Amino acid sequence: MIDATGLYDEPLNIEPAVVFEGVSVTLGGVSILDRVTASVPRGGCTSIVGPNGAGKTTLLLALLGEVPYRGGIHFSSKINRNVRVGYVPQRLAFDRGIPLTVAEFMNLGFQDKPLWFGLSGDLKKKTRKQLAMVKSDHLENRRLGALSGGELQRVLLALALAQEPDLLVLDEPAAGVDIHGEHVFCELLDNLRAKLGFTQLMVSHDLATVTHHATHVICLNHRVAAEGPPCQALTDETLTAIFGMHMGLVDSRSMPFGKSVCTAACCKGGRLA
Amino acid sequence: MPDLAFLYTLMSWIFPFECIEARFMQQAMLGLLLLSPMTASMGIQVVNFRMAFFSDAISHSAFAGVALGLLFAVDPHLSMPVFGILVGLCIVLVQRTSSLSTDTVIGVFFSAVIAFGLAVVSRDPSSTRNLQLFLYGDILTIGNTDIWFLIALFLLFFLYQAKAYNRLLYIGINPTLARTHRVSVGFHQYTFAAFLSLVVMFSVWAVGVLLVTAMIIVPAASARNLARSAGGMFWWALVISLSSAVSGLILSAQDFAQTATGATIVLCSCLWFIVSAVIALFRRMQKTNIS
Repeated sequence: MIDATGLYDEPLNIEPAVVFEGVSVTLGGVSILDRVTASVPRGGCTSIVGPNGAGKTTLLLALLGEVPYRGGIHFSSKINRNVRVGYVPQRLAFDRGIPLTVAEFMNLGFQDKPLWFGLSGDLKKKTRKQLAMVKSDHLENRRLGALSGGELQRVLLALALAQEPDLLVLDEPAAGVDIHGEHVFCELLDNLRAKLGFTQLMVSHDLATVTHHATHVICLNHRVAAEGPPCQALTDETLTAIFGMHMGLVDSRSMPFGKSVCTAACCKGGRLA
Repeated sequence: MPDLAFLYTLMSWIFPFECIEARFMQQAMLGLLLLSPMTASMGIQVVNFRMAFFSDAISHSAFAGVALGLLFAVDPHLSMPVFGILVGLCIVLVQRTSSLSTDTVIGVFFSAVIAFGLAVVSRDPSSTRNLQLFLYGDILTIGNTDIWFLIALFLLFFLYQAKAYNRLLYIGINPTLARTHRVSVGFHQYTFAAFLSLVVMFSVWAVGVLLVTAMIIVPAASARNLARSAGGMFWWALVISLSSAVSGLILSAQDFAQTATGATIVLCSCLWFIVSAVIALFRRMQKTNIS
């Protein structure tokens, strides 16, 4: 345990990218979040875990300014500028019948010239590059409504990355994708994070994914039950406290130190290198 | 107001039909050529935002707008659009701040404006004459001042659309996504509602309350069937709306037809819709055959 503690203490000392300070949200008289205090270490992959209805998505929406909250949410940026947030929503709800190509969709927020006159050549090239980064360049001219769940998720990721975010927020990025697809998606994210250096904050209810990819975990059930590196935060006691019977999905004691948390590229850039 | 005679003469050159020789027909044609591109462009967003009911509510506030004009002795040409914009902005305001669903909010406004209009009119039986005009519309009585106003609105409208088309589509896809991309959603929603109200009010004159929504959404709905991209959707809607307006006006003036202009225009665009639906079906069948 000493090794493990020593291993993960350091990232917490760096100034965090986001700090939640006593964030409370009440919607329609029901308390969704109760004085949530947590931090998101810079450059890492922070995962918010908790059962359904625990307020995970609400915490993200508060962060994005979509939900009124009490308390404070503080951002800090490496360089002195407004923090840019890229957002990848959970199962984007949109009108699937709309005739809109993937390339057009990616540029709705970038191109000022109306789409009546088509996409400009520069933006087309840039879009192709962005799509290639998430291994989806073949989707460029497909209709947005015709994409599968996994394809749409990649396009949304490419769109978020095109905004050059300091902080990438993902809500259940792998919902609706099979387990293999989920793993591939997270691996892709790990590689991109190592390359582009953004801070990643995601909601997940799949503990296997979390233990494999996250470097920091916030266990949430209306309030913060535990916070820290996965092997410290995801103890049997915490999991039982927030999930009830957690069906032995993860046995934190059985995870070998060092390998338990993350074998992916992100950790090589961080602690294990 | 400067004379627009040269534009009217131009109409009779472009459309060498016997019926277009009359001045009131030339005025109607010019009015429709200005109005139908606006309804087409609005329609795309109305369909994307699923706001057909919204435009319905605005059009029904036309009557209350006129009633207000009668009440305070203001020209209905002024009281109608002003009241329409007010109702539109109020709907957006309530919709943004309350937890009620959009159609419930609109439903409340819808009933309120109709009740108000009827209440005022029932006090003064002589104004029921106006009721018929608003139910069926009359593009043939459009005057010089109206045309000037339409020209101004046309320029302002397309300036706005050129700036806002992409962003409005973005908000239509998903407002949260647009907001995190630093699109000011509130500003676009309010300005859109204001322009929609103005376009709807002018369309009430052209085709009447009952058919306004059809004039706005049918070309856009047909365009969705035909287009493969958001850029294409705009041009399809424009072509369908313009061709329906022109052919509707000319057809309605023929001796064999002698139908109401507004109704004929809407019928023409509905024909377009049927054709587009068949083409869309055919395309889908082809796709399933291949795969």
